[in-house]
Amino acid sequence: MGNRSSLLLREEEIAQIQQESGFTPNQIERLYSRFTSLDRGDCGTLSREDFLRIPELAINPLGERIVNSFFQGDIYNDRVNFRQFMNVLAHFRPVKKNKDNKLNSREAKLKFAFKMYDLDNDDLISRDELLAILHMMVGANISEEQLTSIAERTILEADEDGDQMISFEEFCKALQRTDVEQKMSIRFLN
Amino acid sequence: MAPKLSEIFPESCLLIVVGVVIGVILVHVTGSVHMSPLTPDTFFIYMLPPIILDAGYFMPNRLFFDHLGTILLFAVIGTIFNTLAIGASLWAVGQTGMFQCGETPPLDMFLFAALISAVDPVAVLAVFEEIHVNEILYIVVFGESLLNDAVTVVLYHMFEAYSEMKDTGIITMDVVAGCANFFVVAIGGTVIGVFWGVATGFVTRFTNEVRVIEPIFIFVMAYMAYLCAEIFHMSGILAVTFCGITMKNYVEGNVSHKSHTTIKYTMKMLSSSSETIIFMFLGVATVNKLHMWNTWFVVLTIVFCSVYRAIGVIVLTALANRFRLNQLSKVEKFVMSYGGLRGAVAFALVLLIDEDKVHLQPMFMTTTIAVVYFTVFFQGITIKPLVKILNVKTAEKRKPTMNERIHEKLMDHLMTGVEDILGQHGNYHVRDRFKRFDNKYIRPFLLRNYQGAEPKILETYSKLAMRDAMEFMRRNASTIGNISGTESMSGIFKNYTAGNLDGSTSFSQLDSSNWNVDMQELEYNPSKKDLTDAKIHHLLAEELCQPKRHRRLSYSRHAVNDRDLSTQVNYKMHYNMRRLVGDSKRHHHKRHSKKLQKDGKQNHVSFPEFQQNGTAKQFSHDYISQVLSEEELPDPKSNKEEWDSPITFTAKSSLTDESIYSDGVKRTSRGSIDESTRVTTPTATETMLPWKRDDEDECSAPLQQSEFPAWASNKEYLAYNSPSATFLGGLENNRSSVIGLFRRDSAASGHVSSCESSPQKERRSSSGPNAVILIEEDVPDPLGVLTRQSTVPTTSQPPLTPNPRRQIRRGSMLEISGCVDDTSNNNTQTSHNNTEFHTRRKD
Repeated sequence: MGNRSSLLLREEEIAQIQQESGFTPNQIERLYSRFTSLDRGDCGTLSREDFLRIPELAINPLGERIVNSFFQGDIYNDRVNFRQFMNVLAHFRPVKKNKDNKLNSREAKLKFAFKMYDLDNDDLISRDELLAILHMMVGANISEEQLTSIAERTILEADEDGDQMISFEEFCKALQRTDVEQKMSIRFLN
Repeated sequence: MAPKLSEIFPESCLLIVVGVVIGVILVHVTGSVHMSPLTPDTFFIYMLPPIILDAGYFMPNRLFFDHLGTILLFAVIGTIFNTLAIGASLWAVGQTGMFQCGETPPLDMFLFAALISAVDPVAVLAVFEEIHVNEILYIVVFGESLLNDAVTVVLYHMFEAYSEMKDTGIITMDVVAGCANFFVVAIGGTVIGVFWGVATGFVTRFTNEVRVIEPIFIFVMAYMAYLCAEIFHMSGILAVTFCGITMKNYVEGNVSHKSHTTIKYTMKMLSSSSETIIFMFLGVATVNKLHMWNTWFVVLTIVFCSVYRAIGVIVLTALANRFRLNQLSKVEKFVMSYGGLRGAVAFALVLLIDEDKVHLQPMFMTTTIAVVYFTVFFQGITIKPLVKILNVKTAEKRKPTMNERIHEKLMDHLMTGVEDILGQHGNYHVRDRFKRFDNKYIRPFLLRNYQGAEPKILETYSKLAMRDAMEFMRRNASTIGNISGTESMSGIFKNYTAGNLDGSTSFSQLDSSNWNVDMQELEYNPSKKDLTDAKIHHLLAEELCQPKRHRRLSYSRHAVNDRDLSTQVNYKMHYNMRRLVGDSKRHHHKRHSKKLQKDGKQNHVSFPEFQQNGTAKQFSHDYISQVLSEEELPDPKSNKEEWDSPITFTAKSSLTDESIYSDGVKRTSRGSIDESTRVTTPTATETMLPWKRDDEDECSAPLQQSEFPAWASNKEYLAYNSPSATFLGGLENNRSSVIGLFRRDSAASGHVSSCESSPQKERRSSSGPNAVILIEEDVPDPLGVLTRQSTVPTTSQPPLTPNPRRQIRRGSMLEISGCVDDTSNNNTQTSHNNTEFHTRRKD
């Protein structure tokens, strides 16, 4: 399948993706083969179900959110093509100092994480949105009140303008001392 | 001068110097006695394990496993490379005859190289603790020094065995066996360590009943792991390291907070003691007469050590960087190679060499000491300024904030998800796998309170909440009293946190939201009954808490009694509350407060403001004051009278006992007490309790008592007020009645001997029998409470001796009053003496 998929990928497509996302051609081919192996219907796009068919992702507490983030760009489109797929993954490329990075800068990475919370796309994390994530991560063993107070404590900690929401700026500030570049990077195999 | 010295030199250097000085003195004083306190046995069996356990237990697990690949690369490949390179080079130079020490057999050289090439955990810890390099650098160097133990041990034993059997010849099989041995030693040590770590976690699950010995399990079991591994010739260091790494998470979840502190400090204390001793002994051991100095050999060894270390680091980081997400920079490479310190492990190993088999042993020893000194002194001293000059990222220690915790957790899950989508099984994937396995199978099995998937989030949260609370208490201690009573404690914290975090903006919003700081908080809405109950309980608690008795009561072999502190605080708190209650009677209160304050001064430090505030806060609830005022209302008149009138002391049934009883009875009896002080109708208890029913009729007249207990003549009684029969009476003007019983109860741990006579107030003649005489044997005046008139004849021990050895207060009281009643009945019938003793209250 790997061979076939690399054949299907045309040179200019590779060049375009390479330009957009910064992946090397080798990585692109490799990822394309992964893409096609996920694509059960062989239609060149992935649906949410295709993603969730990955067994580990299905049991990931945030699996659905992660899949959701692949469909960010276009709400009406419930399928993602290879270019979109690659653009999302480009967020996780390691930061290279001397290169101009658009998709994998620290800010882009933070934005990606922020979007994981921000369901309603209003660029604010509300208490309920945070609570929903906490629910997924912490699970059922902790009482609702505890989770609520954790969420409130968290918002209170980050909230600077007193609107009971975490804006993106506040989010970045809260993670000032975190090595986001390293934490949200992955070594893509060649 | 002193602070400067310690700034320039690492502790290890100074310790070695001290050791050398001591060694020199010892040699000169004792003459030719050869001092070698640092024998390999003491080193490996007693001194090394605590250091390694400390290292393993406080190892940042995640960091360690994130960089495990790099660490292993350095620990295994790096050490083998160093050994072979140094050994080969030394042998090659030896062939030229430069050392002029006769024959330099290659195997001896490799043996020496094996022990000299290993980076020493003790030395690395000692130096790196002080320079605070960033955590990645630290973990790589330190992890290497821990894990290379297996390699060193194997190489050392392998070359030792080879050099011993060099006569018979070494066949290929031996080499293969040596390599296989490495895996056995390393994996065996690890497995033993993990096994004992899990066992420790399992044991601590059941130690909640024996908190005092809880910490010892951690130490004993880790040491068992070490010994176990050593017995089977596995790597003991690996065993202890992995034992610490494994047990940590589970132990921390099981042990109490205090045990946690104990473990932490004991471990740190043991390890730094060991470290100190090791370096000092190293210094002492330097001074002996077995040295064989060979300048070229020493110099070349140092040169080879440094050069091959640098080469190894450069080559291996280049290799590691291919697989690493964050690349090791040039500066980091330099620090890594420069931080390859040699230390006491090498020295202990060189002492182990048998001089009969390896003739160059004295030279090896001298050289080892020289290398150790070189690395510890030269590199140890210069590494600090170098780190500064090279601008190495230094670590900042801090507690994670709530946001960081949660968002980093989210990123972890996110990265796991991305790895899964990519189909790559990297670090995140493995960790996620392990975590899931851990949560599903191991944690429920090892943890007493299994808390669910993300204990870290909860932990951070409760730590932060706690910190807020403490902070608040510290800063606003004086204002607590002013906070209106409707606010709960969590409300206070809420406001505080809000104010602390983002100014005053969000106060109102917070109040409207049901923000809850305290995870365990219950909204406490006491009913009137509860309040009354609590009040009496507090009063009793105050009386109970005579600080003197603490030591004795709290002594227990197997438990640390934590009540000491709290009861003392309660003591004052309740005193303040009492003051609130007795507010209308200034004079009583004053007198009493003086007494109490005296007590307070004697026995413990009191914080009047703080407790005052606490009290005010606690009891400024509307209904509380309502209850309190209710109670006060009826009392003044009766008490006034009572206060001045002499009190006749008769043997009667009384309510005191009920009022003294602990909570359950107290509640029901309180109402009746109130009544009976004013009205003479028998209370429910009076009619219920058998002995009371009995003498209902007979005892309408004061009972006589033929004999009087020893306390009756005790002048000390005069210093105190006589108790009143009812609880509230006692509450208003005199607390002693209740005090006496309990104080005695506790003061004389053996025979509780007490005579508590509770004369019914001035109403005694009309109300009939209402007093209880409780007389016990040993102590003449345990109460220090009762007053009596001197007219009462002093006699020997009374016949009415209740069952001795009543430990339970209530039981003894019942028993006693029963006895009293019986005897008094008898008395009435037989002698009819009609003796009353009047107890006058002395004011």
